[in-house]
Amino acid sequence: MTNDDTPLIAVDGIEKRFGTVEALSGVNLELGDNEVLGLVGDNGAGKSTLIKTLVGIHQPDAGEIRYDGDPVTIENPKAARELGIGTVYQDLALVDELSVASNLFLGRNPIKKIGGLIPVLDEEYMNEEAERILRERLNIHVDPETPVEYLSGGERQAIAIARALVTDPDIVLLDEPTSALSKAAVNEVEELVFTLKENGHSVIIIDHNLEEIFSWTDRIAILFNGRVVDVVDTEEVTRDDIVSMMISGQSVLGDDTDADEQTAGSESATSSSTA
Amino acid sequence: MSTLTNLSSSVEDLRDTDRTRMLLFLMDNLIWPILFVSFLFFSALLPEIFTDYRNIRFLLYTSAGLGAITLAEGICLISGHFDLSVGSIAGFSAMSGSLFLTQWAPGTPGVVGIAVVLGVGAFIGFLNGFFISKFGVNPFLQTLSTLIIFEGGILVLSSTSIFNLPGTFTYLGGATVDLPLFKPMPVAVFFMFALFVAVFAWLTKTRFGRAIYAVGGDKEAAGEAGINVDKVVISVYVVSGLLAATGGLLLTGFTGGATPTLGTAQLFPAFTAAVIGGISLFGGRGNVLNALGGVLLLGTISAGLVMLNVGPQIVQTVNGVILFSAILLYTFVGRYRERLLSDL
Repeated sequence: MTNDDTPLIAVDGIEKRFGTVEALSGVNLELGDNEVLGLVGDNGAGKSTLIKTLVGIHQPDAGEIRYDGDPVTIENPKAARELGIGTVYQDLALVDELSVASNLFLGRNPIKKIGGLIPVLDEEYMNEEAERILRERLNIHVDPETPVEYLSGGERQAIAIARALVTDPDIVLLDEPTSALSKAAVNEVEELVFTLKENGHSVIIIDHNLEEIFSWTDRIAILFNGRVVDVVDTEEVTRDDIVSMMISGQSVLGDDTDADEQTAGSESATSSSTA
Repeated sequence: MSTLTNLSSSVEDLRDTDRTRMLLFLMDNLIWPILFVSFLFFSALLPEIFTDYRNIRFLLYTSAGLGAITLAEGICLISGHFDLSVGSIAGFSAMSGSLFLTQWAPGTPGVVGIAVVLGVGAFIGFLNGFFISKFGVNPFLQTLSTLIIFEGGILVLSSTSIFNLPGTFTYLGGATVDLPLFKPMPVAVFFMFALFVAVFAWLTKTRFGRAIYAVGGDKEAAGEAGINVDKVVISVYVVSGLLAATGGLLLTGFTGGATPTLGTAQLFPAFTAAVIGGISLFGGRGNVLNALGGVLLLGTISAGLVMLNVGPQIVQTVNGVILFSAILLYTFVGRYRERLLSDL
């Protein structure tokens, strides 16, 4: 395996502007192996832009993304998938009318050839694989032939996560995984997040609900006005600390080095010792 | 622990869930019991006559052209789009092929005429799909203009009917074969069933068919999953054009020639058949085999009415009433469905 100190993915001085709006102004962030990182910030802080840059929907104007230590360009969602980044979109991007297995393999359905000639969908393989992925990776038992519309909110979230897992990614990005869910379903998602970590994945979660952020993550990155205010160990901060950083854009952990490093980082240089 | 609770609750719910799923299955395939009841109804009113082999044969035969055009409409609806131009594509392409064989290039083999018919249909379909996907034109307006342009175009080509077409050209729609089980039976009937099965297999068994359902169900989700939505939309309209043209070819064979009004009257019945067959107007849902049920229901009712000596002019009114009832029925079914789904 690679050196443990090398972050799985490192974002270095990423800038992105849309017209006159500077959405990201020099973001530095690192995600370690098997780590659950929370991304918080007010609306417009740059969370979505950052995520969309990581999955190749946006291209950064400046800065560098390193994957396992190597600089990479992520051209589109497919490239992100091939690199090892699986994404669960906020709207889940499921087609209600199609079956669980169909949704899992949507856009890349496996094919078999009848008589070596006629290509048809390999439903059997799709169903088996879907059932296996859901059971082994997420500990969810669902009939893969069930239309997605028959499922509960938590189950649908699980299907969306399972779809991100089909390509066996190192990193799973969860964009607002609980925004449309009932309390019971939120508990299911919590179990899913823990299962992901247990199975060795790294996870980045965007979430407005600080309670969830606090109980699910190892570290929290606070974004403000397109830059990272601070990245803190979840156990070392309080809810109030986070809220105040989200609102003021100033790190409240009196620790001078952190603040300096952050200022330096957002201006120019690299800082690879955050972990 | 959650697995355990899930298990015990699912054992309890098993009977309920099974019943719910059966109801959902029934609701998705309502057309067949309706067709069955209508058939019994007319058989009771017209004992012996209605169930006569010749009547059933005629009923199936008149359904063939409409069947192909219904398929053309059906795949557009499944992909979440509208196509108002299926009837005029059928008429225009049939007229083009017929003129090609009789006036533009007389003496050419009928097969070339068939190629012209299909080519014209596919090309018009391509134009529909191209403008809808690449320029974002509203499908309703796009295909409405196509409808008007080519309905007029038929009359520009010829205001009179074209007869004396080569046998190969009218074979599919006009010839009959003798088979041991089916005494004389029009080729068109077998062709119609084969066409429905083929399109059904294409839609349900291939990657491309699955993509069509995905685009119809949720365009954005399909795109995010890596499906090339524009390509799917354009292909759907090309295939729709091909199927509509095939309908035109079948109707030409049925009539024995291309008439200026050949396909134009087919739009509303095709639409009705697709909808009463349970194909959703909102896309992503529906089974083309059930649309065949819709076609047969319309055929059954119009044959029944004609045989009861009800004037043919009433048939359209009745078709309208059927469409309205179907829409009403499916609206209720849709609501009930939501309730069932929320119980699952």
